[in-house]
Amino acid sequence: MFKQKTIEEVKSASRKSSSGTTSNAFYNNPRIRGFFYQIALVAGLLYFFGTIIGNTLANMEATGIKTGFDFLGAAAGYDVLMSLISFESTDTYGRIFVVGFLNTLLVSAIGIFFATLLGFIFGVAHFSHNWLIRKIALVYVEIFRNVPLLLQVFFWYFAVLSSLPGARQSLSLGEAVFLNVRGLYLPKLIGGDLSSLVWIALGAAVAGIFVLRRWAKKRQELTGQQFPVLKTSIAMVILFPLIVAALTGFPFTVEYPALKGFNYFGGITVIPELMSLAIALSVYTGAFIAEAVRAGVQSIPHGQTEAARSIGLRENKIMSLIIVPQAMRVIVPLLNSEYQSLVKNSTLAAAVGYPDLFNVFVGTALNQTGQAIETIFMTIIVYFVVNMVISFLMNRFNSAVALVSR
Amino acid sequence: MKEFQPIAARPAPIKTVGFTAWLRDNLFSSIPNSVVTLSVIALLAYYLPLIFDWAFWSANFTGTTEDACVKEGACWVFINAWSYQFFYGTYPVEEVWRINLTLVLLVMVIAASFTLPKSIRLKASITSWLLLPIVGIAILDGRWLGLEVVSTDLWGGFTLNVFMAAASIIVAFPFSFLWALGRRSEMPFIRSVSVIFIEFFRGVPVLSLFFMGSVMLPLFFAEGTNVDKLIRVWLVLIFFMSGYMAEVFRGGFQAVPSGQYEAADSIGLSYWQKILLIILPQVIKVSMPNILATFVMLFKNTTFLLIIGIPEVVQTLQTALSNSYWLGGHALEGYLFVFLVFWGSCFSMSVLARRIERQMNTDKRD
Repeated sequence: MFKQKTIEEVKSASRKSSSGTTSNAFYNNPRIRGFFYQIALVAGLLYFFGTIIGNTLANMEATGIKTGFDFLGAAAGYDVLMSLISFESTDTYGRIFVVGFLNTLLVSAIGIFFATLLGFIFGVAHFSHNWLIRKIALVYVEIFRNVPLLLQVFFWYFAVLSSLPGARQSLSLGEAVFLNVRGLYLPKLIGGDLSSLVWIALGAAVAGIFVLRRWAKKRQELTGQQFPVLKTSIAMVILFPLIVAALTGFPFTVEYPALKGFNYFGGITVIPELMSLAIALSVYTGAFIAEAVRAGVQSIPHGQTEAARSIGLRENKIMSLIIVPQAMRVIVPLLNSEYQSLVKNSTLAAAVGYPDLFNVFVGTALNQTGQAIETIFMTIIVYFVVNMVISFLMNRFNSAVALVSR
Repeated sequence: MKEFQPIAARPAPIKTVGFTAWLRDNLFSSIPNSVVTLSVIALLAYYLPLIFDWAFWSANFTGTTEDACVKEGACWVFINAWSYQFFYGTYPVEEVWRINLTLVLLVMVIAASFTLPKSIRLKASITSWLLLPIVGIAILDGRWLGLEVVSTDLWGGFTLNVFMAAASIIVAFPFSFLWALGRRSEMPFIRSVSVIFIEFFRGVPVLSLFFMGSVMLPLFFAEGTNVDKLIRVWLVLIFFMSGYMAEVFRGGFQAVPSGQYEAADSIGLSYWQKILLIILPQVIKVSMPNILATFVMLFKNTTFLLIIGIPEVVQTLQTALSNSYWLGGHALEGYLFVFLVFWGSCFSMSVLARRIERQMNTDKRD
């Protein structure tokens, strides 16, 4: 009988023959070697971090920097440009953290919404039958993907928005929406006593859509009959709240922005800092998403389109029923990373002074308290958590669109 | 059961080749398409002349001061007057040959790594790449070469963006390679340390890394050591870059067929011989497009240095815009110029990346 040699024995034997030395020594055993390497790495890391921590403590003592999180309870003493919750300069650093966090979420949400919209429009436009549309999509992607985001933020802020007319010559849309150098002014809906019923109706309509979709899918699987889900959904979302509003006698008043003195008051004000950052983030990330959508659609073999045509589907049905569902498998993971980098890039708010978390906390709070380590790490952790949530949601979404192999 | 009724055959197309057929297929294939085409053409016909008029016809090209801008259109005199600062920052004029020399060296090393004879190409180009940052710093700073010392406060402009990006990716290269190996390693501790490192530097906003470099890093050094701000930022960029590049390399390692590893094992190569002689050249080849894409990202991100007050090109532009002799509102001209400079460099790199990718694809088809 031949004795089966293990790979290790073969290896060491071949080495013996080539170098002529005995190689069964313990230091040639990969397991022992690996163990040794890892011990060395641990020791190195311990030494590295030990030195850093020692140096940091010594430095902080020498310069008199305080440590710990006591500063979160202290009065901040500065105001922020914009906040979604009430804030005064007597409020604490802890509250400023929340204000900044909400502002970050706001600009990220706006950015993600419009970037997705732009990305899908221009991504699909790449496959348009119209030569001009295709070229416009190409030009959009190639221009905005290849220019630094910071430059784009500045471009919108300094070159576009600050060349808008002043308050008295505002650009207006139906005397309800105003745009001038100080920002965008939108009308605001103020709810009365029974307004919550309308919101409940809207919520019910949205929940109803999910039920409807599930029912329609089941019906289609059983009988092959299709149900106009999209039209019914749109009708539900509009009609439900409208009927309830009519029954309760329209419990809303609309507050229009109005020119008083040198500026507009009332309504919702979108400050130019937020606008320039949101526009730049949407346009920049939109270009990347358009590329992702293009890659996704191109990954679908042309045979799929031909097969769909040969069974008589119309062009728009081919896109929505055959191509996009398959392309989503490629697009969603890419969207995930684009959304995450959008959230990270929203820190560029510091460049134009939009009070996002990074700007109010790592910018101002750090300057005032000098507690670099605490502020930077608190901020970093927030960005990690937000990105983890995005990643979790997108992975859930991904498993919903992933190819189910039977 | 209905009887199968084939739909009537479509009439033969009138014309399928030639200019008019192209027009009909691509611009006027249906009524909505024609409407879109005509409205796009109308928009272009309205705006393009305005833009051309502003940028060329009634623009001001000659002169040295604000007063030279008498015509309606763009004031390119502003760009002209500040072009030195945009490219070289506040580097002394009589020493500027040092920046140009470093740029030439950079171009030469890039050219050499594509054109040298194959027998020495790998060794020569790797050595020269790794030496380049040190030589570059020696030339620019000058104290080791006995030249006049130019402090890093004076470095700036677009060349600083280029040098920061290039120096970071060169030093990050070997590190990222090690991190990628660590992430693939079978040793649990080495693997988890690599994963934590890579994910930390990929997951954190790059701006917070710059703040760490400028505010936190000084606390880490022993008391009394004063490390130059530019070097601290360079360190941060190296770490940042090696996190991203490690992922690029990991993709490259996965693209190398396992037969290559087994073949190297079977002819008795040691681990490092296998990795450096067999695997690495293939990894670099497959990852080349992604390396370029990562470099473009890093290059674009060097503009963020403005936020911690390093006078790269955008910062220089803002200084120029707020100069009291140039308060005529040249923001549009200035941003457009920097826009075009970055667009030109990034676009050509992404075109290059796409071309390399296409070349590799044809390789595989054979």
